[in-house]
Amino acid sequence: MEFELTEEQKDIQKAAEEFARGEFDPDLAFELDQKGIFPERMWRKATQLGFIGIHYPEDVGGQGLGLLENTLIIEAFCRVDSGIGSALSLVDLGSDLILKFGSKKQKEKFLPPIIKGEKQLTVAFGEAEDDQDLSVLSTMAVRREKDYLVRGLKRYVLNVSLADLFIILCKEPEEQWLPLIVERDGEKMGICPIEKMGLRMISSGDLHLRDVQVPHENRLGEKGQEMELFQYYHRVKSLRFLAQALGLMEGAFERALKYSNQREQFGRRLSQFQMIKHKLAEMQVGIEVSRSLTYRAAVELEKREMDPKVLFIAQIEVGRKMAWVVDEALQIFGGYGYMAEEGIEHFYRDAWTIRSQLGTEEELRDLLSERILGKRG
Amino acid sequence: MCYELNDQQKAFRERVRQIYEKVVRPIIDEFEAKESFPTFLFRRFGEEHLLCLRCPKEYGGPGLDKISECISMEELNRICAGIGAGVMVHGGLATDPILRFGSEALKQTYLPPAVRGEKIGAFALTEPDAGSDASSLRTLALRVDGGYQLNGSKTFITNGTICDFVTVAAYTHPEKRGTGINLFVVNREDQGFSVIKKLKKLGNHTADTAELAFDDCFVPKERMIGEQECGGLGQLEETLKSGRITYGARSTGVAQAAFEATLSYVKQVKRQGELLRSAQAIRFVLAEMAMFIEVMRYTTYRGAWLFDRGLATMKDASVVKLFCTETLQKIVMKAIEIQKEAGLRIDNPIQRYFRDARLFKIPEGTSEIQHLVIARELGI
Repeated sequence: MEFELTEEQKDIQKAAEEFARGEFDPDLAFELDQKGIFPERMWRKATQLGFIGIHYPEDVGGQGLGLLENTLIIEAFCRVDSGIGSALSLVDLGSDLILKFGSKKQKEKFLPPIIKGEKQLTVAFGEAEDDQDLSVLSTMAVRREKDYLVRGLKRYVLNVSLADLFIILCKEPEEQWLPLIVERDGEKMGICPIEKMGLRMISSGDLHLRDVQVPHENRLGEKGQEMELFQYYHRVKSLRFLAQALGLMEGAFERALKYSNQREQFGRRLSQFQMIKHKLAEMQVGIEVSRSLTYRAAVELEKREMDPKVLFIAQIEVGRKMAWVVDEALQIFGGYGYMAEEGIEHFYRDAWTIRSQLGTEEELRDLLSERILGKRG
Repeated sequence: MCYELNDQQKAFRERVRQIYEKVVRPIIDEFEAKESFPTFLFRRFGEEHLLCLRCPKEYGGPGLDKISECISMEELNRICAGIGAGVMVHGGLATDPILRFGSEALKQTYLPPAVRGEKIGAFALTEPDAGSDASSLRTLALRVDGGYQLNGSKTFITNGTICDFVTVAAYTHPEKRGTGINLFVVNREDQGFSVIKKLKKLGNHTADTAELAFDDCFVPKERMIGEQECGGLGQLEETLKSGRITYGARSTGVAQAAFEATLSYVKQVKRQGELLRSAQAIRFVLAEMAMFIEVMRYTTYRGAWLFDRGLATMKDASVVKLFCTETLQKIVMKAIEIQKEAGLRIDNPIQRYFRDARLFKIPEGTSEIQHLVIARELGI
């Protein structure tokens, strides 16, 4: 059992971190977060340097690396700034579905523009705040001679404002579920972003589909693969948010560590108090556990037959650890932690926004126990 | 032993709840978005006799007890913690030292307009380099002819940009570390007093929070609270003792709001075809929230009851603050988690309760300081 990153992986990690430290200006990050603006310039640079789509095969312009390498990049970005890092890691949400289920033609058509930074892709499956709830799905596709006509309302769609391509799931009278790649259509799509508490640089909101025409060739995956595709999406999405959570925790820890070495009270640096030392120690525990679980999940996802328990366990525990770490980091800053301009406050908001994507402990325990006990358990 | 509010207190709760629902609820969204305090509320609350509740009738106040103050704070924070912060500081930290330790002249000058909401009070203890460690204050009060000259800066001051007067802690005897402190009342128009900037925060957006500066600011000696130099430390401790109990009420109010929102959410929302309320795990969460709130509320009332009888120790006050503010976090964290992405929408109050609640572990002694205080009072 190898329990270390390869030299190449370490280099990727280092390059991503250097890029982020050089480009993610804290003042700009503050402004983009407050105003809810996507970090356009940083996205363009990140694509130029090959940080987006590193795990796509070389024939579509990627570097042929794996999910773990992509995880390392997201982690490094979020460590430097959770808001910018998260936004950049979501510009190609759903690309993993095209990689796994797409036809050669679809890959060649849709993936290169993403790698080049010309287009963004997202997934619009959910129709409620729980995007795993298929019972509420009512978006309909009507099959016509050359295309499908799609009508419905997708909710809490990530990157809804900027995505050029949406992978949607709809119902079709003959085929229970139908996944389609839909190109943005200004006239037949209504986009209503909502203002949210955290991850404010990446939009989220409603996507109204008003008889959008989608050619038959944009059907994603073979007949019968729909549920596998749906499940796989939730897995790769969770992995991206696990990577964000991990980077965010490390970033919050770094900031708290630095502050506790500078700030003096009672004639001593904060880091000289036992209870602060112990907090820092326990934060390291949280980070280490989360890193192991996240990397393990990335490796597991690459397997042909993955054990989904690994991912559910990671989602539960990393979500919990992140909540604790970011809370303690803010607490070490005291009053300054609560102030927006100190640079830790948005980590707190972002952490809980990431956590909402990882899922509630209750539903994750449902999924995990189902795997332990079987469906009828 | 009696575990019930008296009739007067019960009627008071009904009355304040109605007023806050009617007057505060409709304006929250507007002022939260603007990140500003609706200052007209001070006059309005003044008319309703809801400011400086413990101030006796001779200075125009309603002369109620600490329990009633806690009831009012619980109800106001149930609706909006940011507005609760401004009203709490005005009726507590800013005016308490005047009421309890000030000269008759100071009381006559400051309390009646504060009670009527015509003058807004602030309280300035924390400094950029003196947070948990209040003894490291740098603000100096240099004795000069007829009074004192104040120099220094203060931060995280609630009501900072809207106040008419501010109760300021400064060293009259900096060589006496910790004990050489006095409190002074500074008027907004005093030469040398200025508001440096308003601060943006995670939550409590309606609360006005600012940095203040005192630059050769002359304060006549009559505006020192108490007659003795070096008398401020005890006054501060008494003021904070009262304030820490109030934090129990603030926490209970926000917890109650988060609980009510969660309850109505789980009753309405279906996931995977089933109402959330029917899931055992969710029912347990709600049960636990209800349990926590009961304990928070009665711990707060116990602290207030002891305070009203002059029996509350700093340990009692710290127990209230530590338990209630920490327990509140568990409640709001679970509340926001359950609603998933819906809980993060700015138009959903649950995320406001969550952001507002996070503050409470910090002011008037962080949770870490409350631990230190309790341990010290245990005699270990």
